[in-house]
Amino acid sequence: MLEKSTELHNKFWEIFSKQDRNKIDEFKLYMDKFAINFNLYKDGNFIEQSLPFDVIPRIISKQEFTKIEKGLQQRVQALNLFLEDLYTDSKIVKEGVIPQEFVEQASGYLKEFVGFSPSKKIRAHINGIDLVKDSSDDEWVILEDNLRVPSGASYPLSIRDTYRKIYPDFFEQMKIDPIKNYPSIIANAMDYVNTGGINVLLTPGRFNSAYYEHSYLAEKSGALLVRPHELTVVDKKVYFKNYNGKLIKVGSVYRRLDDEFIDPKFFNPESVIGVPGIIEAYLAGNVALLNAVGNGVADDKGIYYFVPKMIKYYLGEEPILKNAPTYLPHFKEDMEYIFNNMEKLVIKDVAEAGGYGVLFGHEMSALQIEDLKGIIKANPRRFIAQELIEFYDEKCYLKKDLQDRKADFRAYVVVGEDVKVWNCGLTRYALEEGNYLVNSSQGGGFKDTWVMEL
Amino acid sequence: MEKYITGNVATNLYWLGRYLERTATTLNEISKTYDTVIDIDKDAGVKLYEKYDVVLKYTNAYDFLKEAIFGEHNANILNILTNARENAIICRHLLDNEAFGEIIELHGLFLKTFNNHLEIDYKLIDHAQSLIGEIWNIHSMRHHKELSDSFFRMGKIVEEADYRIRFHEDDDQKIIQSIYKEINSICKSLTKNHDESPEVLEVEGNTQDERLTQLNAKIDKVIIG
Repeated sequence: MLEKSTELHNKFWEIFSKQDRNKIDEFKLYMDKFAINFNLYKDGNFIEQSLPFDVIPRIISKQEFTKIEKGLQQRVQALNLFLEDLYTDSKIVKEGVIPQEFVEQASGYLKEFVGFSPSKKIRAHINGIDLVKDSSDDEWVILEDNLRVPSGASYPLSIRDTYRKIYPDFFEQMKIDPIKNYPSIIANAMDYVNTGGINVLLTPGRFNSAYYEHSYLAEKSGALLVRPHELTVVDKKVYFKNYNGKLIKVGSVYRRLDDEFIDPKFFNPESVIGVPGIIEAYLAGNVALLNAVGNGVADDKGIYYFVPKMIKYYLGEEPILKNAPTYLPHFKEDMEYIFNNMEKLVIKDVAEAGGYGVLFGHEMSALQIEDLKGIIKANPRRFIAQELIEFYDEKCYLKKDLQDRKADFRAYVVVGEDVKVWNCGLTRYALEEGNYLVNSSQGGGFKDTWVMEL
Repeated sequence: MEKYITGNVATNLYWLGRYLERTATTLNEISKTYDTVIDIDKDAGVKLYEKYDVVLKYTNAYDFLKEAIFGEHNANILNILTNARENAIICRHLLDNEAFGEIIELHGLFLKTFNNHLEIDYKLIDHAQSLIGEIWNIHSMRHHKELSDSFFRMGKIVEEADYRIRFHEDDDQKIIQSIYKEINSICKSLTKNHDESPEVLEVEGNTQDERLTQLNAKIDKVIIG
């Protein structure tokens, strides 16, 4: 189902109808020429490929985006307060707002970090929040918070430049918000928490799926792109080793690798992509890590259920953006509801990501549902259930034809001195008609997102 | 002006410069030799590739092009460009975006020709040379202001020196002197903060191998980290 057309959409289609559609092929040529890739490993082979791109942008009016912006600022502010509280005083648990065992069973919760407060008490610096627009009430709904290493911002950034070159008419005739400021927002966030020294972007290396993004953001934000073994820790301080052998102090690290790999001395001793000793330096307050270690607890699919409660608890406000109605089998009454309504619910495995571990009740047989009930009963913390949100499709120009595809929207929220919501984002669309999974790892593509006014 | 650069990125920039220059000089030699093989000296290609320590076998001028560019030997142009592409991807954040795109296109040109068994002729060589020329043009417009440009440029001129030593040493002493002067100048600027400055490179050494070893040893003292 498509969203009702607005004047902005009509204006877009009016201009689009006058454009040379053969030029659409130039986007793919551009992405190939500049190796704008999202790499993957398939059957043990490293494959370099560009993300499928669709030329029809998602259009969001400025007025609508302002509401999204406020809602996201509120949410990320609350999530930061939650993380800081959880790892220090833990009042929210002590006061019973979130059950203790629920937190402790979250795989991203790292009890070794209890009592530690990072630079400026900010923990979730660079965040990707996934939303969809519910067709039943025209409201935006939060589906997921990504507070560890969210990726994807470089793709709309790169494609916008090309769009302007290939089809300048849209930008001449409509007021589309410019988006080039994202790297400077990142740079400001890094500067704000910097403990003294240079900013670096830590990449696992050239064969990481998002190496293009690491390279792009380092270049544009002015952070030095480094691989783990190019950093060294001496006396609990992190240094970058310059080509001339000199050691340069590092004050802030935008790390693009997960907690478990970041320091083989602290976490997984078999990690070959970590920086030995970096956690010791971090705990000594000698370096800032963006994002903080231990954030996984807050973007756990089970903890997601409690975010509206966090907003009320920390900010004393009603949530501006709502969650999808969610049920936790952990609670007896929720378990009962889930078991009575499995056919219409979406069941998610909290340990999975990237569209994996998502089961749609309406696609399952009676036998499969019974099996799943048994699995949920045995391990209720492992699952959540959500009402299926019938979110809007977006028009896509695929195979030289206009087709409808489900599409979500990943918004980027960066916390430094202020909480900034980037006025663009990654709109991801599903590979097939009617498919609700839009993740790149599921074959989905991306669109540009235009925040605009007439 | 950039102040910092990792040893890995510096090395990749340096080798990118070398591989691009190697592609350009090799294609230039192939182009000249192709003309000779047609109707002047059928064995000219064999003689050329002896200098690369490669025994090249071909049946005619067209086959010479094919074997020289895609044959199974260490001067295979596609392999050289595959290395250049890897170098470029690793250090893309320090390259001019257009230059980066031309490098990917250059590699793609040879890959497509190889994979699709397309005809190899002078147009392929001309196109490749024009792309390489464009890459260096874009680079020169940056006026060598960046630290990264110096490593890239150094790769180019070291490869040029290497080429001259291997192929034209007897004829080009003055040219080699002038290339060494430029290498010394770039090395001086890149090593001003080193604990130990590398020695000035002089044209010395009795054999070709000694001179090449001396040239490479100089570079090893520039990139330490």
